[in-house]
Amino acid sequence: MSKELIRLKNVTQKFDGETVLDNVNIYFNDSEFLTLLGPSGCGKTTMLRIIGGFQTPTSGDVCFDGVRINDLPPYKRKINTVFQKYALFPHLNVYDNVAFGLRIPKEAEDGTKTKLPKDEIDRRVREMLDVVSLKGFEHRSIASLSGGQQQRVAIARALVNRPRVLLLDEPLGALDMRLRKDMQQELKRIQQRLGITFINVTHDQEEALAMSDTVVVINEGVIQQIGTPEDIYNEPKNAFVADFIGESNIVDGIMREDRVVEIFNRRFACLDGGFEKDEPVDVVIRPEDVDIVSEAEGQLRGVVTSVTFKGVHYDTIVDFYGFKWLIQTTDYCPVDSHIGIRIDPDGFHVMKKSKYSGMFGDYSSYSEEYDEINDPSRSAAEEAEGAEDEE
Amino acid sequence: MKKNSLGGRFLIGLCFLFLYLPIFLLIFFSFNASDSNVVWQGFSLRWYGELFHSRLVIESVATTLLVSLVATAIATVAGTFAAIGIYSLTKKWRDPVLMVNNIPMMNADIVTGVSLCLFFVAFFHGWGSIAAFINAHQSLVKLPEQLHLGIVTLILAHVCFNIPYVILNVAPRLRQMDSNLVDAAMDLGCTWMQAFTRVILPEIKPGIVSGALIAFTMSVDDFVISYFTAGSSIQTLSMAIYGMTKKRVTPVVNAVSTIVFLAVLIVLVINNILSARRAKAAASRASLEPVRVDPRVERFKQWLYTPRGRLARRLTAGVLCVAFVASTVFLTAFTQSRPVVNVCSWGEYIDEDLITEFEEETGIRVNYQTAESNETMYSLLKSGGADYDVIVPSDYMISQLIEEGMLAELDYSQIPNFELIDPRFRNLPYDPENKYTVPYTWGTVGIIYNAAMVDEEIHSWSALYDDKYAGQVLLIGNSRDAFGIALKYLGYSMNTTDEGQIREAYGLVSDAYERGVFQGKVMDEVFLAMEGGNAAFATYYAGDYLSMLEKNEDLRFVIPDEGSNWFVDAMCVLKTARNYDNALKWINFIASTDANLRNMDTIWYGSPNTEALEQYPAWYEEEYGEPLDPEIYHIIAPPQEVLERCEMYVCLPKATRTLYNDLWIKLGI
Amino acid sequence: MRNKRGWFAFPYVIWMALFVVIPIVIMLVYSLTVPVETAAGEAAQGSLENFTGMTLYASVFGRSFLLALVATLICLLIGYPVAYLMSREGPGFQRVAMALIMLPMWMNFLLRTYSWMAILENNGLLNQLFQKLGVISLYNRLTGSDIDHFKLLRTSGAVVLGMVYNYLPFMILPIYTVLTKLDPRLIEAAQDLGADAPTVFRRVTLPLSLSGIISGVTMVFVPSVSTFAISRLLGGGSQMMLGDLIENQFLGGAYNPHLGAAISMVMMVIVVICMLVMNHFGDGEGEAVML
Repeated sequence: MSKELIRLKNVTQKFDGETVLDNVNIYFNDSEFLTLLGPSGCGKTTMLRIIGGFQTPTSGDVCFDGVRINDLPPYKRKINTVFQKYALFPHLNVYDNVAFGLRIPKEAEDGTKTKLPKDEIDRRVREMLDVVSLKGFEHRSIASLSGGQQQRVAIARALVNRPRVLLLDEPLGALDMRLRKDMQQELKRIQQRLGITFINVTHDQEEALAMSDTVVVINEGVIQQIGTPEDIYNEPKNAFVADFIGESNIVDGIMREDRVVEIFNRRFACLDGGFEKDEPVDVVIRPEDVDIVSEAEGQLRGVVTSVTFKGVHYDTIVDFYGFKWLIQTTDYCPVDSHIGIRIDPDGFHVMKKSKYSGMFGDYSSYSEEYDEINDPSRSAAEEAEGAEDEE
Repeated sequence: MKKNSLGGRFLIGLCFLFLYLPIFLLIFFSFNASDSNVVWQGFSLRWYGELFHSRLVIESVATTLLVSLVATAIATVAGTFAAIGIYSLTKKWRDPVLMVNNIPMMNADIVTGVSLCLFFVAFFHGWGSIAAFINAHQSLVKLPEQLHLGIVTLILAHVCFNIPYVILNVAPRLRQMDSNLVDAAMDLGCTWMQAFTRVILPEIKPGIVSGALIAFTMSVDDFVISYFTAGSSIQTLSMAIYGMTKKRVTPVVNAVSTIVFLAVLIVLVINNILSARRAKAAASRASLEPVRVDPRVERFKQWLYTPRGRLARRLTAGVLCVAFVASTVFLTAFTQSRPVVNVCSWGEYIDEDLITEFEEETGIRVNYQTAESNETMYSLLKSGGADYDVIVPSDYMISQLIEEGMLAELDYSQIPNFELIDPRFRNLPYDPENKYTVPYTWGTVGIIYNAAMVDEEIHSWSALYDDKYAGQVLLIGNSRDAFGIALKYLGYSMNTTDEGQIREAYGLVSDAYERGVFQGKVMDEVFLAMEGGNAAFATYYAGDYLSMLEKNEDLRFVIPDEGSNWFVDAMCVLKTARNYDNALKWINFIASTDANLRNMDTIWYGSPNTEALEQYPAWYEEEYGEPLDPEIYHIIAPPQEVLERCEMYVCLPKATRTLYNDLWIKLGI
Repeated sequence: MRNKRGWFAFPYVIWMALFVVIPIVIMLVYSLTVPVETAAGEAAQGSLENFTGMTLYASVFGRSFLLALVATLICLLIGYPVAYLMSREGPGFQRVAMALIMLPMWMNFLLRTYSWMAILENNGLLNQLFQKLGVISLYNRLTGSDIDHFKLLRTSGAVVLGMVYNYLPFMILPIYTVLTKLDPRLIEAAQDLGADAPTVFRRVTLPLSLSGIISGVTMVFVPSVSTFAISRLLGGGSQMMLGDLIENQFLGGAYNPHLGAAISMVMMVIVVICMLVMNHFGDGEGEAVML
């Protein structure tokens, strides 16, 4: 259907001896909306900068349309970028920001320089402002725009040059919740209308799932999984992906035979197969796949330790033999009530053991924010990335 | 935010009053009819008129502007690039570079000035041998073997202390700049250079502008560093003023400064109004109201971007550039191209019309400089800071210079006017065979006192050390005269090399010093102090007394009974002179009877020219229509019996000179 | 990309080496040598004489540092309140005040100092004013003395006044800059936590404006300790300072650049040590706050 446009071959990037990208191999198809998803400091922005030409990889090749472009400076690449915090030129107004790229004389292969005629520039700028719904803002200064408007200017400024690829570096990070939802739709609409490749970088899994044709999950400089949003959510390859995308209860299990998995010393029917007999595995059970039933009817029995009302459903934490699960259900069960649960065979997803096994999926101390605050390694990693950004 | 109470504002006002009081006085007295800074004698624009005739002031203002503009331009460009460079360095390199960058700002000006002065002198020293070597081995180019402090070193020094200010102003702008902006520009198709001109430059422009402004201000206001690096051939306004503060700052300088001050004030006011308007406009923009711009302004702005407008813009820029370059070239050419003679003399020691007259007559430009004292001039010569042809040192300094082989023998066939010099002033001990000198003036040292403040006739040096006049005596500000007079009072020779006698003289002076007899040590500041009646006694030169007498009639002059010093200042040519023939022409011109008469009339020092000395009373009567007071003539040209009481300085041996110096410094501390 | 731009700094590094580092090295060399007369003329010989002989000038060092210290303190005592009060005014007032503080620099500082001479002379404007107001006769009646003027000029007081007058703006500007950048919410937070006005000032405002104070003190102290024009004009030659001493060795009567270089060296080292100590107290806030 679509052809390959960009390929990274064995790309490794090191900063001061620290490996940020580790032997990455990936290709990007034409006209697709692809998202690089991962926590802060995972290397996704670095990958974007390598594609944009702001960074030359320590080793490996970057190919565009089959041609190696490692040493091609950014201004010669048919790629444009929407930067983090937009990087709009504060000394120029909206119109001049958008017209900036068009006013640069273009150098042809033979060295001659051509300038776009004025009316052509004017036509294209106005057209693009129309696309991003910013008509009438031409002469406003950048400082007087709201965050959402600034972002539209940034998008228009990049797209007016008609790139083959648009790179977006955390484009929605600075916007509030509501606006973010609207812009997700808007970006998707623009991408479909123009039919070019969008490569988006984000750490927001919801955003990634909502907008993308393809999602690439990255952690610690290594690609964890590539797939459609559905694949990524339903068939995570390892505990990291399962935990990073949506909520997951991840427990140790043993694959007794095909379609039979054992957890808590109890066997359950499942749909997975292809493992060795008695192979230890990670088992993912999504919170919404668990039904609460009476204690007698339950396949497992536990005690409710906390209940949080979330609007559509309740987040209920249940203690099973010392292991705490998150269950999302519309039924209200008071704290300390004894309940049973049922899981259908399609509720189990079995994964091979990985280096992430045992690190995720326990809700003993339930509160994501709380986890983050208490994880020194995580905040240190974030700061490291922040510092790297500044350098 | 809380506003200040009335009291707070009053305090701020008081502070500003303190800052501006002297400035108001300066401006006020620039309109004074007389040259006093204290007594108002009616409104007049006289000094503004004289401004255009005062060569010293105009030239020094031109030099100041030239040096400041060139140095600021260089420093702004260099500093901007350096800031970008430093900012792009990794921390490991950036910190030491920034530390060294801060040295010129951390260091006292005097240390910067001194170190640069020593550096230039050392460089010139090395250059001399390199140039000699190159000249000896090829004949294509002839390199000058002798370099001197001058406009180039001055500009270099200014650039040196300006760059850090530019960097300091540009760096924060760079730091605040979103680091993605350059990437964004390159992403949109700019090469690095295009990104620089289209994005970085406009972004850091405010920093560059304020850096340049501060650098320019610092350059204009600088005195200390210029003082040490300019040498003798050029003067900035600061240096000229410093030279004048010792005697009398001519109100012309007040006038110049008032003009500059008012010009800057106007610019500031306009700028303030504009930025206030801009702030208002920004505020209205923030409230999303459409900004109302004057349609004419808008139309003009649009016109600027039409092809014709662009042409006009480029033309204007071009004209400005050409004007700048042309004025630079003109100013340099103006000061360099014509044949020239560099003269070093003392302050207010010539009828300035003579300079113009000589220039018109011969076409030779006279670069007329003044030194503070024989010792200062000697220092300048020694350090290579000076580029003089003709100097006018006093007797004892002449013999020292001859001894050190620094003077050139004169070709008296080119100085026919030498014949007119009174035999009394030829073959004097400092130049026994008269091979090096043509006398310029002669005179005596005596006590000047204010008869309104002293109710006795003064006949002895003892008055200078008398507790009766505690706090009223001005000690002469050089060691030779101060100790010489004390030696004379004690009955010794002024030229004694006996350490005991000299120490006794020192004891006399330092004792009086400790008892608070002396108000201060002065050289040319004596004019201001005595004319204003701020002190009762001073020791100074007869000619200068007569100048003071014109301003204050209560002053009296006496050569004490114990005797005093009589001196001859004579014109000499330095061995290093590059304009030997022009120098001889100048000397001959000044030795003429006419020049001597006019000089005598202006500076009131005795002339060594026999004709001039004799003719002066008659000349005076003809010129002013009234006879010359014989008493004044007596002071100008004291009779032989007075001279016989007096002693002429001879050059002291080095050990004695060192002793003088040590004792002198001990006196000051 | 970035490292390539780092080469922009290269010419400047060379420039600095040439015009900042080498001159100081030459000065050091000068200070460690004395001239000796040899058959071939004057030559230089290594010696510590310049430094050992400097004890003679101990009192000049003492006076310089004392007067500069007093001037700096007075500048701080005047400058801080003024900067503080200015920072609390409206933006229009602030703009005008800033311009007014910068403006005097366009009047030559020697001329401004000279103007003080006319004010402070024995027959100067101030003494005349005192006479008219009867201050002097009152003083005479009170103390039984018989003077017709106060001795104002050619005193150490006059020198300090000249320093304060010339360098006060350099104290106000950095403090003012720091104070305007101070987040007003910090003050509110302190008040919220129960601090009264003096406590807020002592515990929050003052520590946070310390970097401004330090650069202000530096910018006043360094030129004060090294001045020679001010002491010459207002001190009347009787208040010899380090600057005079150095000037005297280079362009004055006592021509001895070796000694001058040595004194400069010592002064530089002392100043640098003072600054390091100051910066240490300033919690390593080395960033100079400028204009």
